[in-house]
Amino acid sequence: MNDTATKNRNVTSEEDREELQQFVTFTIGSEIYGVDVLKVQEIIGITEITYVPNSLPFMKGVINLRGNVVPVVDLRIKFRMEEREYDATTVIIIVEVKSRSIGMIVDAVSDVIDIAVTSIHDTPHFSASIETDYIRNIGRKDDLLVIILNVDKILTAEEMETIRKKEAG
Amino acid sequence: MNSEIRDIFLEESRETLMNLESDIVSLEGHFDRELFNNIFRYVHTLKGSSGVAGVNSVYEFSHQLENLMDLVRSERIVVSETIIDLLLDSLDYFKLAIFGTDEEIEESEKMKEGLLSRIFDCITEGTGKAQGADEKRPAVAPARDERYFHIHVRFKEDIYENGIDPLRIIQDCCAQGDLLERAVDRSALPDFPQLDPEKCYLAWDLLIRTEKSRREMQDVFIFVRDDNEIVIEDVTEEYVKEKELPAADVKIGELLMDRGIINAEDYDSILEAQAQENKKFGEIVVERGYASENDMSRALKEQDRMRKKLESSTVRVDTVKLDNLMNLLGEIVIGQSSLSRIAEELEDETEFRLKNALHGLDRITREFQEQIMAIRMIPVGPTFEQFRRFVRDQAKASGKEISLVIEGRETELDKTVIEKIGDPLKHMIRNAVDHGIETAEERKERGKNPAGSIRLGAYHQEGYVYIEVADDGRGISLQRVREKAEVLGFLHEGDEASEARLLSFLFIPGFSTAEKVGDLSGRGVGMDVVRTNIESLRGSVEILNQEGEGTTVQIKLPLTLAIIEGMMVRVGKSIYIIPLLSIVESLRPAREALKTVEDKGEVVMVRNEYVTLVRLYDLFGIPADCLNPWEGLVVIVESGEEKVGILVDELMGQQQIVIRSLDVDMTRSRALSGATVLGDGRVALIIDVHGLVGELTRRQA
Repeated sequence: MNDTATKNRNVTSEEDREELQQFVTFTIGSEIYGVDVLKVQEIIGITEITYVPNSLPFMKGVINLRGNVVPVVDLRIKFRMEEREYDATTVIIIVEVKSRSIGMIVDAVSDVIDIAVTSIHDTPHFSASIETDYIRNIGRKDDLLVIILNVDKILTAEEMETIRKKEAG
Repeated sequence: MNSEIRDIFLEESRETLMNLESDIVSLEGHFDRELFNNIFRYVHTLKGSSGVAGVNSVYEFSHQLENLMDLVRSERIVVSETIIDLLLDSLDYFKLAIFGTDEEIEESEKMKEGLLSRIFDCITEGTGKAQGADEKRPAVAPARDERYFHIHVRFKEDIYENGIDPLRIIQDCCAQGDLLERAVDRSALPDFPQLDPEKCYLAWDLLIRTEKSRREMQDVFIFVRDDNEIVIEDVTEEYVKEKELPAADVKIGELLMDRGIINAEDYDSILEAQAQENKKFGEIVVERGYASENDMSRALKEQDRMRKKLESSTVRVDTVKLDNLMNLLGEIVIGQSSLSRIAEELEDETEFRLKNALHGLDRITREFQEQIMAIRMIPVGPTFEQFRRFVRDQAKASGKEISLVIEGRETELDKTVIEKIGDPLKHMIRNAVDHGIETAEERKERGKNPAGSIRLGAYHQEGYVYIEVADDGRGISLQRVREKAEVLGFLHEGDEASEARLLSFLFIPGFSTAEKVGDLSGRGVGMDVVRTNIESLRGSVEILNQEGEGTTVQIKLPLTLAIIEGMMVRVGKSIYIIPLLSIVESLRPAREALKTVEDKGEVVMVRNEYVTLVRLYDLFGIPADCLNPWEGLVVIVESGEEKVGILVDELMGQQQIVIRSLDVDMTRSRALSGATVLGDGRVALIIDVHGLVGELTRRQA
């Protein structure tokens, strides 16, 4: 009797999880982006960034995160958008990629939202010239269109390698 | 089987086997009873734990091995090469049977059969000999550990009537070892009128240090012990300094066996009795008269002290925990410096009080840091000991006679460094065995001792740890290095080349002077790999060569990887750290000292020497205040033989820095080796001098 009860509860909770997914959303320009909430370690205000010589353009440098040295990526540069001055709303979202911490500089952080799994769709095919690996899907919540990022692809060794080769060649 | 028990068993066995290996190999050099007892104990531990873990084949085998070793302990078998080979092969069996794959375990069973028959051969030989050879002890009596006995003797008054001279017995007793103390008790001596000259009134108290066992001491009194007052007490532990007692968790039975109070048979029968009667081991020992109550309590005390020592000396900690501790400390330091900044802003009396408190805190954190660093430091001894077996096997394989001398085993190094020097050391020792040491015939011809020797040493000097592998072999032939360098096109015929330059060719990949490619080394992978490995630990390698006399390869390593002494330099708004140990000097050159040399670029003349100039702002593409060397400062750094001058705006002072690794993917520059968090919370990058020099040479090429 008890057994079936627990089973039933498990089933419902699993269904719940399947239905909704949580995302941290932020803005860059006029677009809203989202990152799986489980990937986000913390969000900090903009802080002093140490430039690392001979690094890729979108690597803004390294910051001190409570004694740990964490690399930060400027998503505007990464997404080939116009750079702009950092201001009071600029934040660094610390995400975990392959058990390492990486900071992403974004214009502003907005919210944590639930998106129904059924309203998350695959990305339409963009033109091939733009790297779209790091865009996972497009999610819709009410009128909001959220571009969901795959943080694992923001800074991968393979990607770094190909860029390196391009630069060399 | 319970996987937790299995894990513990594996972990424990790994350690036991490692100790076993180094002890067995040291046993080969000279027989030492204490060492042999250790080996016995390790085998015994293995037997016990394999029994608990249910690895029956190991359990049975170790039991047989123990039997054999017991015969050695009772001196019925002398330790010979056969025995040592047998022990070493048994060790290989243990490794295979415990850690091997299923197939290897199957294979180990075959090995076991062979080993068992060898053990039985040795046992039969040993016991056979023992039958008639009880009187005649082996010519080379094995050295025993020394024990202290307190002997109290009071003869009965009419002892002369039995025709025994008490003095002779006392003298005999004293001759068994070194007499340390002697007291004569005259209290029973009557006044002269009552004195009967045919009676013995005296009593003796003697303290003797001897290698003899308790039984042998008792034998001295064999004719008088029945009706005289003779008490022999083993008081060793009162005289052996605490330091000499090993820190170990030893079972009381084993302790008694070590002291020769009971033998292995007694031990087993006591254990049996213990299982039935549910009494303490010690109680049974006393009950059955194996030892007096006094002896028992002494042994218990000794055991207790060894255990206490163990408790105070070892704690097993995951290194990740230590790293976390270190990281947390880093955060404390940074938090502290931001507090100091706030204190600066205060203006009343609180500022003074806050600053005082912060100073106190600062002292504690520094000490804290030192202590954590000390935890990470472990002695290099065990790593060195592992090579005993290696040298022995390699020497046998190449038919040479080589002894390994280990020095400075107590030298401490960061754990990470110790883990990483194993491979380079192996390469170097292999080189020494294969190419350094000549064959016995060759050595005789040159008038050397036919047995070669390799010295593996470690010592501290000037904030570095030096590790040396020295052999007394033929040395490196500079002539041959030269020839080879010419063939490979590094040198032209007739070019001048210093010894240092010639020797540096040995670090070039694929450069080898070995005449024949050995089974072990001489395939062109060698010194270059050693150098790469050592440099990744921020160390350097140097070869000291004396042709005909031997070669010494010297490794210089920083004491620790996690913290270095760094010089903060400023270029524009950026701060970089240059490891202090790489810095030779810093200076502001005169305008005339600057020159541009073809295919070397810009150079600075420093003490009649041209040093390549690196403009850091140029290399890193950052803004700087001083674009002219005669306005800024040039820091001269050294990597191996190469010197480079780095142009910076100013020096900011030196500081201990905690190194954080930089994401390897972040930069293509080899000139940066990591980052650190400064006191004000900023991140500063650390300049890798080896990498910088490497990058320059690559650019020039």
